[in-house]
Amino acid sequence: MSVFSDAYARRALVEVLLVGALCGVVGVHVVLRRLSFFTMSMTHATFPGIVLAALLGLNLYLGAGVFGALLVLAIAWLWSRPGTDESSVVGVVLSAGFALGVVLLSAQSGFTKNLSAYLVGSVLAVQVGDLAVTAGVGVAVLLLLAALGKELVLGAFDRSGLRTLGYPARLLDVLLLLAIEATVVSAVPAVGVILSVALIVAPAATARLWTDRLATMTVLAVGLGALSGLAGLVISQLVGVSAGAAIVLVACGLFAVSWLGAPRYGVLSRFRHRAAIA
Amino acid sequence: MPYRLFVEPFQLPFMARALAEALLLGVLGGVVSVTVVLRRLAFVSDALTHTVFPGVVIGYLVAGTGGIVWGALGFALLSAVLLTVLPSNRRVTEDAALAILLTGFFSVGVVLVSRRSSYTADLTAFLFGRILTVDRREIVETAVVTAVVLAVLAVVGKELLLRAFDPGAAAALGYRVRLLDLVANVVVALVVVAAVKAVGTVLVIALLIVPAAAARLLTGRLAVLVAVSVLVGTLGGYLGLAASYQASVYYGLRLASGATVVLALVALYVVAFVVGALRRAGGRRRADRREADLVAEAA
Repeated sequence: MSVFSDAYARRALVEVLLVGALCGVVGVHVVLRRLSFFTMSMTHATFPGIVLAALLGLNLYLGAGVFGALLVLAIAWLWSRPGTDESSVVGVVLSAGFALGVVLLSAQSGFTKNLSAYLVGSVLAVQVGDLAVTAGVGVAVLLLLAALGKELVLGAFDRSGLRTLGYPARLLDVLLLLAIEATVVSAVPAVGVILSVALIVAPAATARLWTDRLATMTVLAVGLGALSGLAGLVISQLVGVSAGAAIVLVACGLFAVSWLGAPRYGVLSRFRHRAAIA
Repeated sequence: MPYRLFVEPFQLPFMARALAEALLLGVLGGVVSVTVVLRRLAFVSDALTHTVFPGVVIGYLVAGTGGIVWGALGFALLSAVLLTVLPSNRRVTEDAALAILLTGFFSVGVVLVSRRSSYTADLTAFLFGRILTVDRREIVETAVVTAVVLAVLAVVGKELLLRAFDPGAAAALGYRVRLLDLVANVVVALVVVAAVKAVGTVLVIALLIVPAAAARLLTGRLAVLVAVSVLVGTLGGYLGLAASYQASVYYGLRLASGATVVLALVALYVVAFVVGALRRAGGRRRADRREADLVAEAA
């Protein structure tokens, strides 16, 4: 394909395929556990970490990961205090993280250009090192999910059952949250902090409309994630629009089509079903 | 010193206009955030701040800066309706649906902006606002929205409160809960529209949550809650503007004004958190002492 004749475009292709697949796998757990708002806050909380790392000349992934993990712990601690309500705590931390990132960046010159790269990604600028990080995170997350997948699924559906069987439920939660955080961080170069939540939630939510079986759902989510990455990248190259946004639009478009037309759980089939009864 | 810190900056006309805008938004955010926090609409508000973004872009592309408010208003009403009817599919939980709607709409905005040559500058202006360049007409627009929202809340505030605490009772009393939900979503959306030029779409979320979340840490009484929330909202706007002016004029440090206002709000939240924690600890100690006195008396 002539779209991918340049080296940078081929690197971008590999990156979006890797990120799409990784987000698909992790998204299954986010959707089953209803962690979408939490993932959203993670993506925003990571932002000042990225800016700080860039200002101090540290590794981007390290700064983002450490800062995100710290804020996640802060949220968990605030949740356990009396008189605080979960969603407003997440909202406060989310806006604080974002404002801090913007203020830090505005003190620098070259403000707007860097900012938009962090916010919506710049996949055509990924280097071989970024690919290695994404692949590394992918392998680590897959190993973790392969080792603990059964326990995590049990935790999603029956928390007290998990605890009764003697598993450390808290520790499993923290491991899952860290896996989500690692995925968010590795998706930043491709789709940016604001949009990475879409690539995590949309493929898995779409897959859930098509199947009841967990294994099928996971495979489908991986395929949909990679497909969104590929199609979005090609569209952005042909039309000349932001790649991150195009990828997200494809993922959301696939969801919208399935929401309407999926064979058993789509809106249209339920209408038909109701009409058949009446 | 206090004169230089708190009065001098606002003698400049553009700073005075920014202050007027910030104070209006503080009142508006302070009142509406009470609804957001009591109804736990934080995620819905976050979604609304993102779904208004494509409206801002389209309005700007079609009619320049004057079109921003109308584009934002159109998308605000559209997404308020969508968010009210959306959670109807059992297979898709509400939070997943919100996340997908939010990012999908937002991406439409980004795609439209990315077609322009001044891409990155435009994007940051839309996202983070430019409070220092608001003009008289925008202040009037904000004042009108504030008046409309306050009037709506004065009329249906009691019903919204009932819906927040006991949806079953609200339905049993014959109120249409769906309609009340729609009103709440529209009110939140109007705040986003009013604030979009000044603090941008992404930071409005702070105005919609932080004031009441801070007030909630200090009091459980509704009237006090509203008063403290408005105070936090206006004080945050004032302190944030003063701080960003000081930093850039006297210390050569450029701080984005909108984001500094948000950080001032968050700082007030932290103060409220500490005060609340100390008061609770004090209350516990008094109770312990009273108990010890009673035990001593009995002995």
